Amino acid sequence: MFINTISLSNYRGYKKADISFGKSVNFFVGNNGSGKTNLLESIYFLALAKSYKTVDTSTIKTDSEFARITAKITSDKDFSSKIVISKIGKKISINNKEIDKLSDYIGKIKVLAFLPEDMDLIKGAPKNRRYFIDMIIGQFDKNYLIELGNYKNVLKQRNELLKILSENHSKDFTLLDIYTEQLSTSAEIIINLRTRFITKINDELEQMYHYLSANGKKICFKYNPLIERDILIQLKEKYQKDIFFRTTSVGPHRDDYDFLIDDIYAKDFASQGEQRIIILAILLSIANIIIKEKKVKPILLLDDVFSELDYLRQNQLVKYLTTADLQSIITTTNIKDINNSFLNNSKIFSVKNHLIREDKI
Amino acid sequence: MTVPKTLEDLIEEFKKLPGVGRKTAERYAMFIINKYTIDEVHQFSEVLEDAKTKLHQCSVCGNLTDEDKCYICQDNFRDLSTILVVENAKDVFSIEKASEYKGLYHVLNGVVSPMDGMGPEDINLESLWKRVINDQVKEIIIATSSTPEGETTALYIKRVLQETDILVSRIGYGVPVGLNLEYADDLTLSKAIENRKKIS
Repeated sequence: MFINTISLSNYRGYKKADISFGKSVNFFVGNNGSGKTNLLESIYFLALAKSYKTVDTSTIKTDSEFARITAKITSDKDFSSKIVISKIGKKISINNKEIDKLSDYIGKIKVLAFLPEDMDLIKGAPKNRRYFIDMIIGQFDKNYLIELGNYKNVLKQRNELLKILSENHSKDFTLLDIYTEQLSTSAEIIINLRTRFITKINDELEQMYHYLSANGKKICFKYNPLIERDILIQLKEKYQKDIFFRTTSVGPHRDDYDFLIDDIYAKDFASQGEQRIIILAILLSIANIIIKEKKVKPILLLDDVFSELDYLRQNQLVKYLTTADLQSIITTTNIKDINNSFLNNSKIFSVKNHLIREDKI
Repeated sequence: MTVPKTLEDLIEEFKKLPGVGRKTAERYAMFIINKYTIDEVHQFSEVLEDAKTKLHQCSVCGNLTDEDKCYICQDNFRDLSTILVVENAKDVFSIEKASEYKGLYHVLNGVVSPMDGMGPEDINLESLWKRVINDQVKEIIIATSSTPEGETTALYIKRVLQETDILVSRIGYGVPVGLNLEYADDLTLSKAIENRKKIS
């Protein structure tokens, strides 16, 4: 899948911008605050019909009534896509026909994004890792998100009930039994889907990490469910504890993931650059799974991806993207370290004060 | 303020009703002022007050009534061995309109949802247990909504009654009658397949 062109009107700092992308690597080079990330965000918005940073309306340029993103996409069939964002909402059209249901639209344009926030993935709170993985599994399997919604609903009810039971010192566990059984059924499905997905990532990850890191170390992405077997029994064993703490102490909502490099926890030693390589390796592994399972090549959005990467790793990444024939859109402050042979196959744009110009080499 | 205060007060009252916005509230208010006679206004306020003061829950089943017992509980020709459990009185009207069911009702006036401050003791369950013990009930049909809260409420009733020899059943869910299959959503279809029935 490729994005051929994009036109922005009144989007963030852009009054007007028309860009025609290359089918391989596209570099957007500019100083801080020049508008590189805003451009990347607009492609993300186009794919997921929402901003990853803020509320929709804040993408409208100051003093403007509406913002517009239009793009031409090449997939199995070519199509044009348009999103108009105004104070009263957003309108989405494909081939100039308005879409009624958002869920029919999302997923038409497959993007995978690396954002600076993702750097939290390795050393940050478990919540970030759960959210990241949940959203990705959700892209493959809509039922996963439905089940996750069920689980969260039952969890909320159960936690409220635990508060009531703790206040009343009640010994009637009939309702608690029901919520616990519902929770257990849902938990089992979620844990199985997560386990299966992490196994799939691991099948790709080792080779990908090896390539990007250019070292011989072994990586492992580990899913650590708090409870794996006999879920119902284990939940029931914790009744007294749960009532005392007024919250459900175990279950997929508390699960965590770990990254191990040569059997050592990455969160304990990995430098900024090493973390970046791990996250990129995961992202590109996911891209491979999408290609295999969905038979479509996703568009990669890589925001400020080169910082903290040394010369070798920067070029390994670009080399991979070029040979894998993945369209990627990369923002960076400079490309002086990138090998000329790669630059010749790429498109380079300079961004300055929200004006974009294509550089011919 | 361009609207006289008396009129504004009336508009504000109408606006409190569900589904009524500013424009509709204005239309209602103007209609009463322009088209109603003073007698009609008296009648309107009277029925409003009556509805609020005279209507209450049936002492047996919780249905809405202006007597001690609702007309269904008073009806001698109904099947006393079956009780159909619903969430609110509106559901009784709907099922009665279908005139298929001949048994009694029990109106819960809510569903179990701790999140919304509704525990089993906050809905009309105590009187259901009493009816089950004292009356000649053989079957309880649970017709709460097919929402997570409705399902949980149904399960709760089932659990409490599991020690008794009363038959507890749940109304069927599936494809609406007269509907072409292609218009049914995924979840409804999988429910319909799960709840399939042998053709007799």
